[in-house]
Amino acid sequence: MDEVARAIAEPRRRDILELVRERELSAGEISASFEVTRPAVSQHLTVLKDAGLLTERRDGARRLYRARPDGLAELRGFLDRFWSDRLERLKHAAELEQQRRNKRAKRRDTDGGRGRGKDRRRA
Amino acid sequence: MPSAETQTAVEVEVRIDAAPETVFEFFTDPDKMVQWMGRSHDLEARPGGVFRCDINGRDVASGSYVEVDPPRRVVFTWGWESETASTPPGTSTVEVSLEEDGDSTVVRLRHSDLPTDESRASHRHGWEHYAERLTQAASGGDAGPDPWATPAGTDANQ
Repeated sequence: MDEVARAIAEPRRRDILELVRERELSAGEISASFEVTRPAVSQHLTVLKDAGLLTERRDGARRLYRARPDGLAELRGFLDRFWSDRLERLKHAAELEQQRRNKRAKRRDTDGGRGRGKDRRRA
Repeated sequence: MPSAETQTAVEVEVRIDAAPETVFEFFTDPDKMVQWMGRSHDLEARPGGVFRCDINGRDVASGSYVEVDPPRRVVFTWGWESETASTPPGTSTVEVSLEEDGDSTVVRLRHSDLPTDESRASHRHGWEHYAERLTQAASGGDAGPDPWATPAGTDANQ
């Protein structure tokens, strides 16, 4: 997960991902698109590949690169987790709140509406 | 290739043993929202009203309510305010539906219009934001009850 984060934290790597999102390109073609040295591009490609964001394919002497959508899906995974965690907390909090309300309602029933108020909490 | 639709939304569902009326307030009342998300809030639960949630003392999610239909449905937009702000407030959408089922409520949350590989250059900056979030999550771990409740970045800044 953090590999993905680190990989896309660098603007140039995001540019590379954009570039190879819909077409397969060689390292040479990629570096020709930017004012970046070939070794720098190779390094970026390695980081992206290690993070699972790129696929590499050999074609004779050339290596061709393309964005891997599955890798990018990990970002969604992050938000999935964010909301899942939040909803678990929501569940806990709302269920406690419901129990409080049920207790209050029950007390009102048994006390004829007077309520005891001893451990009352503000809603 | 996956479709743009499946790529740009996350959907999460949970069953809560509480009435929809009880659950709904947790999306509109700051005193209740703080129990499950963020530290402080500025919420005007009406269409066009402010939705602002300070997640951890540094990152602030912000947008506006689009639909407020108690106790069934609430929709708000969502983006980030911060110095490095890149996903402007209100650029993604969170839709929440509450469905009563006996004594329970099934909550379905859908967060859509997210920056992904389908996004065009205009959305590209979204990456920066999510990259930051990911780094924080990775450094803070996700085992704790709420890693986002503490100011992030102390680890990331070293």
